[in-house]
Amino acid sequence: MLRLAVIPIALILLLAGAMVWSGGGTQQRADFSYIDRGEVSTLDPNRMSWTQDIRVGYALWEGLYTLDPVTLDAIPGCAFPIDISADKTVYTFHIRPEARWSNGKPVVASNFIFAWRRMLEEPGDYTYLLHYIKGAKEFEDAFAADEPGKPADFSKVEAIEVNPQTLRVTLLHPVAFFPDICAFPPCFPLNRESMQEYLDVPTVKKSGAIHENYKKTFTRAGALVTNGAYMLKDWQFRRRMRFEANPYYWDRANVKSKVIDKISSDDLSWSYEMFASGGVDWITDLSGDTASELFARHDPDLHVFPAFGTYFYSFNCNEKLNDGKPNPFFDVRVRQAFTLAVNKQTIVDITRLGELPSDNYIPLGAFTGYPAPHGLSMDVARAQRLLAAAGYPGGKGFPQTSLLFNNEANHAQIAQSVRNQWLENLGIDVRLEGMEIKVYRDKLHTKDYAVGRASWFGDYNDPSTFTDKYKKDSGNNDSNWLNDKYQSLCEKADVEPDAMKRLAIFAQAEKVLLDEAPILPLFTYVNAYVFRDRQVKGLPLNIRSMEMYKSIQVVR
Amino acid sequence: MGRFIAIRVLQLPLILAVIYLLTFVLVWVAPGDPFTRTDKKIDPVVIESMKKKMHAESWRSFLAHYPVQMIKGDFGASLTYDDVSVTDIIRAGLPVSVSLGLLAMVIAVYAGVCIGTLAAVSRGGLFDWFSLSVALIGISLPSFVIGSALFALFCGTLHWFPIGSWGSFSAMVLPGLALSLTPMAYIARLTRVSMIDMLSSDFIRTARAKGLSRATVIWKHGLKNAVLPVISFLGPASAATLTGSFIVEKVFNIPGLGQHFVNSVLNRDQTLILGTVMVYSIFLLTFNLIVDVAYAFVDPRIDVTAKQ
Repeated sequence: MLRLAVIPIALILLLAGAMVWSGGGTQQRADFSYIDRGEVSTLDPNRMSWTQDIRVGYALWEGLYTLDPVTLDAIPGCAFPIDISADKTVYTFHIRPEARWSNGKPVVASNFIFAWRRMLEEPGDYTYLLHYIKGAKEFEDAFAADEPGKPADFSKVEAIEVNPQTLRVTLLHPVAFFPDICAFPPCFPLNRESMQEYLDVPTVKKSGAIHENYKKTFTRAGALVTNGAYMLKDWQFRRRMRFEANPYYWDRANVKSKVIDKISSDDLSWSYEMFASGGVDWITDLSGDTASELFARHDPDLHVFPAFGTYFYSFNCNEKLNDGKPNPFFDVRVRQAFTLAVNKQTIVDITRLGELPSDNYIPLGAFTGYPAPHGLSMDVARAQRLLAAAGYPGGKGFPQTSLLFNNEANHAQIAQSVRNQWLENLGIDVRLEGMEIKVYRDKLHTKDYAVGRASWFGDYNDPSTFTDKYKKDSGNNDSNWLNDKYQSLCEKADVEPDAMKRLAIFAQAEKVLLDEAPILPLFTYVNAYVFRDRQVKGLPLNIRSMEMYKSIQVVR
Repeated sequence: MGRFIAIRVLQLPLILAVIYLLTFVLVWVAPGDPFTRTDKKIDPVVIESMKKKMHAESWRSFLAHYPVQMIKGDFGASLTYDDVSVTDIIRAGLPVSVSLGLLAMVIAVYAGVCIGTLAAVSRGGLFDWFSLSVALIGISLPSFVIGSALFALFCGTLHWFPIGSWGSFSAMVLPGLALSLTPMAYIARLTRVSMIDMLSSDFIRTARAKGLSRATVIWKHGLKNAVLPVISFLGPASAATLTGSFIVEKVFNIPGLGQHFVNSVLNRDQTLILGTVMVYSIFLLTFNLIVDVAYAFVDPRIDVTAKQ
């Protein structure tokens, strides 16, 4: 009899042991809790690139500039006042004497210099934003090239500590959005003293330069020292992050929610059920099906608003395709014909979330005062004329062409609709080629395609975050469309000090792009937030979909 | 017996090395750049610097570096999650998957063996039909259907179970049940077939003839012999269940290891792929060894050390 009981008892003990081993337990509900997709990729501000990381970045850190919680315009952050020279190339930041790290130590100029130097030596996705600082690009390149006897010289980088409270930065030319760059997490400061414990074996370069390596564990709860409204209290990997108000933050009087939880969820349906059951106050994303269902029944908790990104098709503009065959899209008339032959309303009828059909590349309404040009609207007769002029009347003789897309979301359905329209309106039948996202990206970046699905989301508050993509030296010019007029307009805008004039120049550049049609814009993305209006206050519906958590308050 | 176990244990590193090399080759030739994470292409200088950090400038440098590191227990840095190492990821996910898998296996073994035995006893009867349908559902319905249905019904509509994060037993019940259904169905079928064989064998008839009760004969004499095929099934099934399920973990948002098996491949996170494959292989090989040893205990007639 005893033997019979041994096995179940052993199994129950084993199970209990495994449960203890796997951890868990519940904690008191935070003042504000939200789900923003899965786990963050990094809490190292120098390396941040995903939206969910950047949102956390704004909670934990504060740059020289920060963002206004409602308008998201750059406003002075932990530096005030900020003196800008008349030619707008020299910024002198006076760091607030009351600005403090979460360990109580004052924020000083060298914190920024340390972080920026580290980023130039160990570059990430957004390091290029520092290239506007005199000497920064040269330093990054020299450090990477690592030629013996030629160590990179950081003293040539014009970000200089005048005194512990004063930082002077000199730019290559006036950069209208430099405050926005300063307010972007990759440019946030780091507290070197608190990181000393996590120093790893340094890298000695061939050039003789020594690079300080830090163990990744410096970003763990208890180790990470930050200077923003919040500090990291607890981080259970892929489960939850807890932020608590930083008691030393200079603007602590205006921090509304004292405790914030970020719940990690890899499944959008689970996230919505979690919200519906009252487990979280805000979810940043919805699955396509749930979103269109809520949208159709006008659910009051669903908040749909334009996003800072465009969905479009990209044409390869090279003379020859990668397989050596002539590329029909090299001819501007062919690109224009394909663009004019698509009715965009039918596309947003597929996506069903109130996306805005668009003939433009830069999302409409993204920049206040931007005189958006008119793009190529549907005009089948003109499309057919252009196609005939290019040598393919009625689509005759047009080479076999593939339309490339990645298999996620509803890209296949959209591709099917566009294919049908091209077949009907131009008499050209393209082949649909769906693939896994990594393969698709590879093909797009190596220009191994003829027509491909694409999208672009802006990073900072300036049209150049869109227009730069099609500049000659851009690594992201997937169309390989090179246009002198566009290039010179972009360069002109880069150095134009007058804000309104700049916008007008960018509009001219966008007009050139839209007329030359290296891309076929389909629609402006929308964001879909879910939260209860009556409970959650201070969560702005801004096109750039960024939030300053300190101003969010939940009334239960 | 000791010698048999020793030989099998010594074989482990060799088999693992072969699995490692095969996985490495597949990972390395798969198209797609592991270093580009978003649609935006990054500066080649940045990519070079990251490759250097990962010792991934070429397949030779990667292969020269990574296995040595792994033997020391360091699976390297993940490309998806910057701040944690692959070892951290496995350490965080594996206990969760193992707990859930254990619960599922306990349910599967107990329910499966009972259903199978009862079905064999009432062969052709109502219960047999019931067991057949349970098994059919368990084997043919994919876990994302069962998981989603359980989730929608018991969490969404009836609110019997909390929608919450990992940490309480109540949060484990539904995913455990969803995960147990497939192995339970297999176990029930295996038990039934071998039990039917047993029940018509001579020693059972003898036992009945000498006056033992029907229950004693079935549960003590019959089951002990009928359970052998179940044990051989338990090896690979436990390895698969204990290392986590992609679908069940996704539906119930469980921070286990299961999702990494698929996501690491989609992200071309080479170190994480190698790490998870190695963990899975170690589990599989270990459980198969345990099963072989368990045979000898359950049925002393079997000599696992016998040469073929």
